[in-house]
Amino acid sequence: MSVKYIPVQWNNNKYYYDAFMLAGVVGFLWFFLHVSPEVLSHERPINPQVHNARAFGACAFLMLSIILAIGPLARLDRRFMALLYNRRHFGVMTACVAMTHAGYILNWYWAFSSSNKYEALLFSNTSFGQFAGFPFEIFGIVALICLLVLAATSHDFWLRFLGAPLWKRVHYLIYIAYISVVAHVSLGILQDQQNHVFTAIFLVSAIVVAGLHVLAVLHERKAGDPAGAVNTEGWVTVCKPDDIVEARARIAVLPNGDRVAVFRLEGKLSAISNACSHQNGPLGEGKVIRCLVTCPWHGYQYRLTDGQSPAPFTEKIPTYRLAIQDGVIMVDPDANPPGTYVEPVEIPS
Amino acid sequence: MNSAELLFAITQYWLIIGGVVAALFLVVGIDRIDEDARGAYVFRPLLIPGILLIWPIVLWRWWSLESGSYDPESRYKPVRAAHKVIALGMFIAVVGITSIGLSVRQQWPADYVPQKLSEPVEASE
Repeated sequence: MSVKYIPVQWNNNKYYYDAFMLAGVVGFLWFFLHVSPEVLSHERPINPQVHNARAFGACAFLMLSIILAIGPLARLDRRFMALLYNRRHFGVMTACVAMTHAGYILNWYWAFSSSNKYEALLFSNTSFGQFAGFPFEIFGIVALICLLVLAATSHDFWLRFLGAPLWKRVHYLIYIAYISVVAHVSLGILQDQQNHVFTAIFLVSAIVVAGLHVLAVLHERKAGDPAGAVNTEGWVTVCKPDDIVEARARIAVLPNGDRVAVFRLEGKLSAISNACSHQNGPLGEGKVIRCLVTCPWHGYQYRLTDGQSPAPFTEKIPTYRLAIQDGVIMVDPDANPPGTYVEPVEIPS
Repeated sequence: MNSAELLFAITQYWLIIGGVVAALFLVVGIDRIDEDARGAYVFRPLLIPGILLIWPIVLWRWWSLESGSYDPESRYKPVRAAHKVIALGMFIAVVGITSIGLSVRQQWPADYVPQKLSEPVEASE
């Protein structure tokens, strides 16, 4: 949460996260360069430049795989949700590692061309009509551009400026990046491997990442948020008050596709939008801490009564009118403007 | 001018225009459309790479905020439905691409004699 923008909102959790991540990158590079050559079939690299390029390329692929696995894992098991925090730093570091890989490649294979090395990269292989010998570098370029866009738009300013939905759409580029990297490796270094260990690691990683996303979709279909029934007055049924655990919420899908989160706190009910104003995280999966709903993704907080963040923060979300009819919680599907006060509804004893 | 030179030139012009947009936006525009940016200057250089890359989107969103055509309620409508299509598309793409990669591999499963796949391309100037 912010009042004025600063370059990076550091806190202890982010220090630990980044330190662990940096140690992981250094450890991987050291392992790749000094321990694994005979295992991964690169014991005879052409020169240190190529050896380093392979190490950074493999590291970038692994990092991207981990980043893409975090999302579906968090959907399948809430314990992984903690990894979502600070994932943007993970992405920025991945872009840096990928750019280092590209730098080693560019400054070796094309550095001695009589032409501009960037142009030489584009025209040195134009066999676009065949899979074998396909200019796989083009997939690497696409992936790198995607990663740079993601890293360059990771500051919270971009979330506020673009709005979470558009920001998310831009950040769907990560899927294009991953598919491009898979193509880059499949038609590139995979063609040159005589040792199957690297091939197996690559294939398992790619299939696991793609498979986790499919599993998350299936899980969402099976255990996703229920659509509320609409009564004659147009209000939507959510659940019975006793179905909601204290300081927690039940989520219902409204007819227009929006989600409402109905929270129970100290014998009263309040309804707010399920979408956090920061990254549209699922507020209804968070809990109430010191009378404030806390987003499970990044910890943004809102008051239940009016959907506003406590001063001096300025974030706010829509609220909903609700009522209890015949022992069932009903919600007016027309959202109030963000920050509108709604008196909590007391649960009949 | 060959295709590579054209692409390189387009990239250069793209970044030059992005630089102009970045200068205008960070000096003039950002204070007009975001109150949290007023008086905050240290973070602004961090935005330059993003503006260089997606300056058309920056211009479009700047205009929509200035003109009032941006619907502030739209920021509370998450794009959740797209994930199903993306997940299935990615799975098909990953399986398909890796299968193609393995099927055209010359040295797998045995060491075949390397084959010349295409003629050398025309030398560049």
